[in-house]
Amino acid sequence: MDRQALRERLLRIVGPDGVIDDPDELLVYEYDASDEVFAGHHRPEVTVLPRTAEQVQEIVKLANGFGIPVTPRGAGTGLAGAALAVRGGILLVMTRMNRVLEINERDGYAIVEPGVINLELSQLTQPRGYFFAPDPASQRACTIGGNVANNSGGPHCLKYGVTSNHILGLEVVLPSGERIWTGGPAPESPGVDLTGVLVGSEGTLGIVTKVMVRLTRLPEAVNVLLAAFPDLESASQATSAIIAAGILPAALEMMDQLTIKAVEAAFHAGYPEDAGAVLLIELDGLAEIVAESAERVAELCRQCGATEVRVARTPRERELLWLGRKSAFGAMGRLSPNYYLVDTTVPRTKLPPTMRTVEELSREYRLRIANVFHAGDGNLHPLILFDRLVPGEIERVLRCTTDILQYCVDVGGTLSGEHGIGLEKRDYMTLIFTTDDLCAMAGLKRSFDPRELFNPDKVFPSGFSCGEVNALRQQALAQRLGIEFV
Amino acid sequence: MVAPHSVAALQEIVAVASQAGLATVPWGGGTQMGLGNLPRAFDLALDLRKLNAIVQYEPDDLTVAVQAGCTLGGLSAKLGAHGQMLPVDCPTPDRTTIGGLVATGLSGPRRYGYGALRDLLIGISVVLPSGQLSRGGGMVVKNVSGYDMMRLHYAALGSLGVIVQLNFKVIPKPRSERTVVAAYRRLADAAEGALRIRFSQLVPTAIVLLDGRAARVVGLNLQGWVAALRCEGPPVAVQRQADRIGEVVRPAAERLDVLEGGASERLWAEISGAIAAAPLDRAIRVRIGQNPSELPQLAEEIDRACTGLAAERSRWLDIGSGLCYTALASEREADLRLAWERLARLGLHATLLSAPPAVKVDTDVFGREPAGLAVMRALKETFDPTGILNPGRFVGWL
Repeated sequence: MDRQALRERLLRIVGPDGVIDDPDELLVYEYDASDEVFAGHHRPEVTVLPRTAEQVQEIVKLANGFGIPVTPRGAGTGLAGAALAVRGGILLVMTRMNRVLEINERDGYAIVEPGVINLELSQLTQPRGYFFAPDPASQRACTIGGNVANNSGGPHCLKYGVTSNHILGLEVVLPSGERIWTGGPAPESPGVDLTGVLVGSEGTLGIVTKVMVRLTRLPEAVNVLLAAFPDLESASQATSAIIAAGILPAALEMMDQLTIKAVEAAFHAGYPEDAGAVLLIELDGLAEIVAESAERVAELCRQCGATEVRVARTPRERELLWLGRKSAFGAMGRLSPNYYLVDTTVPRTKLPPTMRTVEELSREYRLRIANVFHAGDGNLHPLILFDRLVPGEIERVLRCTTDILQYCVDVGGTLSGEHGIGLEKRDYMTLIFTTDDLCAMAGLKRSFDPRELFNPDKVFPSGFSCGEVNALRQQALAQRLGIEFV
Repeated sequence: MVAPHSVAALQEIVAVASQAGLATVPWGGGTQMGLGNLPRAFDLALDLRKLNAIVQYEPDDLTVAVQAGCTLGGLSAKLGAHGQMLPVDCPTPDRTTIGGLVATGLSGPRRYGYGALRDLLIGISVVLPSGQLSRGGGMVVKNVSGYDMMRLHYAALGSLGVIVQLNFKVIPKPRSERTVVAAYRRLADAAEGALRIRFSQLVPTAIVLLDGRAARVVGLNLQGWVAALRCEGPPVAVQRQADRIGEVVRPAAERLDVLEGGASERLWAEISGAIAAAPLDRAIRVRIGQNPSELPQLAEEIDRACTGLAAERSRWLDIGSGLCYTALASEREADLRLAWERLARLGLHATLLSAPPAVKVDTDVFGREPAGLAVMRALKETFDPTGILNPGRFVGWL
């Protein structure tokens, strides 16, 4: 490839302040929020920062012509390494495309550019009575485009659903260079649901240049309860009891003792430090329903062994209770120089045995594990604490992670609930999917991106290829049927 | 017609059909076989009703895995025993299969409160034309492992694979319901009230406006325009909410009724029945998508577009979701065709849900060409390279 020619063409598209290829300046783009120990660092050939959809389209056409890969990236807060330019090429950083283009209150949607920060959108729409429901822990920094790529979750998706449920349409640049709008404010637009397919595809199928998001009306009433339990087991049982009672909280979060201690030391959120586990339960909706549900939830918690149930009555009290939860990952620095966050989902009723297994694995591998997670939808986040300078610890962390994932899969769970597969978990994909499953997904990828230009080497296991598999299958079928293929 | 008893048998049949180039039509309860374009060819009907097992039901997890041929009625009975439900509007639950619901992607007014089935779908198994079994998602409510294969097949009309199993998150059944029914002389007044509710913090599960004829079709003997707003949940909350809705919509109304329990449920069964009615001999049904706030204007545009073309005309405005359903009847097929051609240009998108075959000749019932048709074509070529599944029936005659 003629690097100089590429550089000049890029400069012509985005101007001198949009092209970064100085090795020192590129350093920061070699990483994202995934742990370098596990995901490595990968230098793009060039980082490009477009300002408009037209520029993105030009860049993609250019990359197509040169046959070089393009890796899209938002704020780089992803934990699975999906925003790393594994094969070099162009790293397309979308953060300058950060305008809110339209807020339609009457019909409840907004059109934003992908670089808009998640929390800023909700802050902007709140005075008008709306919010954007997906609220990942990184919402102060992460972008809507990144949320779309990862189908991000967050505490409130228990009631409101994940990002996919809140995306009405997308303007997207396809690997072919074509720029199209999918979906729209009215549902059931004819044809394949390309919007649904693109959300969560981790930038491997298209690069999003505008997002039409559903805005959710702020609830009339909100109630937050904090329930302290002697151990994780009883807290897990309370979680199941609440869901089984037909109550759908807006959020239902759990923290274990290690997390409570770290959070208290760092932020003084007022959590009971002697508790073995706490549940943070938010109820929202119509005033009448919230009041009735709050009483029922408190009662269920006590029945399951809660030693204390507190109700936050003012917005300030609510905020303080949430502060501890939202800052939990940050507080881990108090406990350990490094931590590795495992994101996995199990069926809700499997939470108690899963927590026991995590505890056993913690002992077996001599690694401390803190637990802070979305209990309501069975999405756990064991945080494995370690010190990368201690010889052998990294290997133990990896073995422990594999064992946790394997256990979760064995009880009917999955590899990732909300962080994505990216680079980090792609080799685990064969734990839950057969070769045929993966081939069908590869078919989807190929239909969008036959030359594998967009975010290569992500999602699929390393070295995965469907060609051989298909040839073998055809042979077998031909033998069985006694026919020949032409 | 073949009716396989097992997924393995189905895989074999599909692989053979693929090799032999047989145009294959997956078939459930057969209630929506008229949906889509006229097929290019039809050799083999694949009756999926024997694949009707409820594979796994975990009431405490609120998840269920069910084979495609299971009827909605069969599934609902099982879920209902545990106080749960799959919240989908369907007039023929004892015939309609779960696979059919997902393949057609038809939704009703309750979509506003509960989302469409696509929002509740957490896993899928599909037999591809190669005979391969392809699965996506799983049995957990939050999952980002791999591509969203559920969305790929949802509403793709069985054109990319034969759906054999679907996993859903299910919803606790509301303990009570009420519907506020308000009649107005003018559409503008009806719409004003309905939109104010949609814009408020109240949480009805369905909001529909019906014109006079549509109201009579569903058994409401009222003139002008009728607003129907459905509340579901715990009894006290339902009562309070219905009261509060009444306060908002009452002032301009000629008349206001509140239907409780069974009466409310029956009205909505009638409404979803009318929206998804079986094709009539001399009638067409059209679905048009539009911003909720612009639906009243759309209703008037429909009126103008059909002047002189249809003897009978009824309109249902799903204000909650942003969809308008129109039924037109006429003795003259040429008039129906002309009406469709005009309606196809209105709103954000339009679909001819049902029509006599003559009306469907040489027109794409999915209306204007969707953006991304090239990708859809590439998907069709990849997943169904020999074009055996429902050939020609889907959007763009794929």
